[in-house]
Amino acid sequence: MSKIFVDLTIAFRSLVQHRRRTLFLATAIAAVTALLVFLNGLTTGVRETMIDTATTLSTGHVNVGGFFKVTVGQAAPVVTDYKRVIEVAKKTVPEMAFVVHRGRGWAKIVADTGSMQMGVTGIDVRSEPKFAKVLQLVSGKIDDLAEPGTILIFDNQADKLGVKVGDAVTISAPTTRGTNNTVDVRVVAIAHSLGLLSTWNSFIPIETLRKLYQFNEDSTGVVQIMLERKDVDRNIPAISARLRQALEQEGWRVMAADPRAFWMKFQSVTREDWTGQKLDVTTWEDEISFMTWTLTALRVLSFVLLVILIAIIIIGIMNTMWIAIRERTREIGTLRAIGMQRREVLWMFLLESVMLGLFATVAGVAAGAGIAAGLNALHLHVPTGLQFFLMSPYLHISIHGSALAWSVVLITGVTTVAALYPSLRAARLRPVVAMSHFG
Amino acid sequence: MKQATRSRTFVAALLAGFAVAAAVPGRAAAALTTPQMVDILKIVDDRQKNNGDWRASAYIEQKEKDKVDVVYETEYYRRSSDQKFMILFLKPKSSAGQGYLRIDKNLWFYDPSVGKWERRTERERIGGTNSRRSDFDESRLAEEYDPTDEGEEKLGAYTAQKLLLKGKSGIDLAFPMIRIWIDKETKNVLKRQEYALSGRLLRTSYYPKWKKVRSESKGGDVYYPEEIRFYDEVEKANQTLVMIKAVDLKSLPANLFTKAWLESKSR
Repeated sequence: MSKIFVDLTIAFRSLVQHRRRTLFLATAIAAVTALLVFLNGLTTGVRETMIDTATTLSTGHVNVGGFFKVTVGQAAPVVTDYKRVIEVAKKTVPEMAFVVHRGRGWAKIVADTGSMQMGVTGIDVRSEPKFAKVLQLVSGKIDDLAEPGTILIFDNQADKLGVKVGDAVTISAPTTRGTNNTVDVRVVAIAHSLGLLSTWNSFIPIETLRKLYQFNEDSTGVVQIMLERKDVDRNIPAISARLRQALEQEGWRVMAADPRAFWMKFQSVTREDWTGQKLDVTTWEDEISFMTWTLTALRVLSFVLLVILIAIIIIGIMNTMWIAIRERTREIGTLRAIGMQRREVLWMFLLESVMLGLFATVAGVAAGAGIAAGLNALHLHVPTGLQFFLMSPYLHISIHGSALAWSVVLITGVTTVAALYPSLRAARLRPVVAMSHFG
Repeated sequence: MKQATRSRTFVAALLAGFAVAAAVPGRAAAALTTPQMVDILKIVDDRQKNNGDWRASAYIEQKEKDKVDVVYETEYYRRSSDQKFMILFLKPKSSAGQGYLRIDKNLWFYDPSVGKWERRTERERIGGTNSRRSDFDESRLAEEYDPTDEGEEKLGAYTAQKLLLKGKSGIDLAFPMIRIWIDKETKNVLKRQEYALSGRLLRTSYYPKWKKVRSESKGGDVYYPEEIRFYDEVEKANQTLVMIKAVDLKSLPANLFTKAWLESKSR
């Protein structure tokens, strides 16, 4: 125990003695660590925002959707007898936090000054408390969406339609039988745009959607299963497979797994030769598969940057260690001459590197986390173009303790590995050669 | 031509009267009670009620900014007993055969070019003009709206009772809120301003000419606006003129208010 303490003291004193070099190297390592923490926080933040927004606006973590075909060529995104589906889901998915059901539709919204095609989601706003938390209102009240004949739209849609809260719009859509039907609804809330998913989406009470499409009480568009946070990243594929199997055992026809959003499947479904109900089990990633490329791009970019940063650290450390060993060759020769073993010389240099790496990365992590917290506190507005992909009007950097610990371990490890070869070379020096070294 | 000039003069007089009235503060009479206001609305409704069948021609002229003016020639039919309604487009050729049919309080639109029926709501702009189905129907203000008194106002030579009407819940209405000017003497509607629930003014309507026709089924006179002018308050340059002609109150065939009948007109 006292031996390690002595070694640590020697390493610390050695670092202090060469304080200029130590400070320069520590600053570089800390900066790289801070950058790593920041990039990781940004990727995690975007991913979390994406999951949060997507699971509020358009999907559950796991979904049981599907299609009902009155004739071979006419498919509607409908789940009949949805209460029985929920019962099966409750039995099969113990990881479930809660379950909701929503209606799905695509309609023409007609206002007095304009019209546009967009998705209409039927929702029971009283059973979805998270909905109100994620959406930021420009005007109106989300609670009013509980009244039949109302609609929530986003600010970009309100601008295009030229409407404000209290104005009426007409929704027109074909029923499953192909007859166009219309309902008048009143705008009760206008929310801030949440990017790509909100651009083509609006919300109406589910009974209004049923009235529009002439569905009965037992029909809905999709059953959305929300999981506990810890299960979101790990267990979703297994849960989907389990649920698919359970639904088949209960007698439903279930579509083969297809990692695409439901609206991308219309063409293939209408080509298939069947009628009646088929269920489709999807995950949140399937439902926003058309836009997860942004996440992949961010991950690839972070990885490339990480590789570059690690290369810089390795080159910097190795270079500095070579200089240090060259400067301290006579010292190494003396230590070897008075009896220090090669292994102990290696240990001494490695310990210095570990200590330097640890101090610097801890400082870097603190700086990175501090910058991230500061930026979060500033509620920075991201440009509109970027909002489209980030699905949030604000920049959100998510820093987790585990990510910080991982950054410390990674960069300290890289620092140690980078110091390994120069340390080995130092340990191999012959005492006579080392002591006679001038330089 | 003379008639058109007179109409324009009347509308100008109404507008001028309205401007003067707006500048004169205060109310001439004590506020009306709700039953009194409902009674006024009932009189307005009753004067336009036929208690039988109705057939008339309607010419709808639509003027839109940067577009050629279009005149639609239509025939419309209604039956008081079950509130059925139908309007059939005769001209121009591109719209001939199109029509709206209201049965069981559902409004259906038929387009012979696609051969399909579409269910529409009361907000539907008839033929894309700024007129609504209710503009051609019997007045049901007392049944559909709750009134609030807004005092008296001079509209040109006329003294009008001004009421704010708010739509009752659960009724499919073209406009949820209407400000209406009713001639105190005759109980003819002189002017209407139609609003969205947000308070946004959507349309202003003028009723410069009222006519009456003897109804056997009612056993009295039925009043109808021979001319209605709609001014779009959202797209300011747009306006619609409706002329109602050739009113015939004889009984209509029983099978007239059917999808089959309307479809047959374009075959």
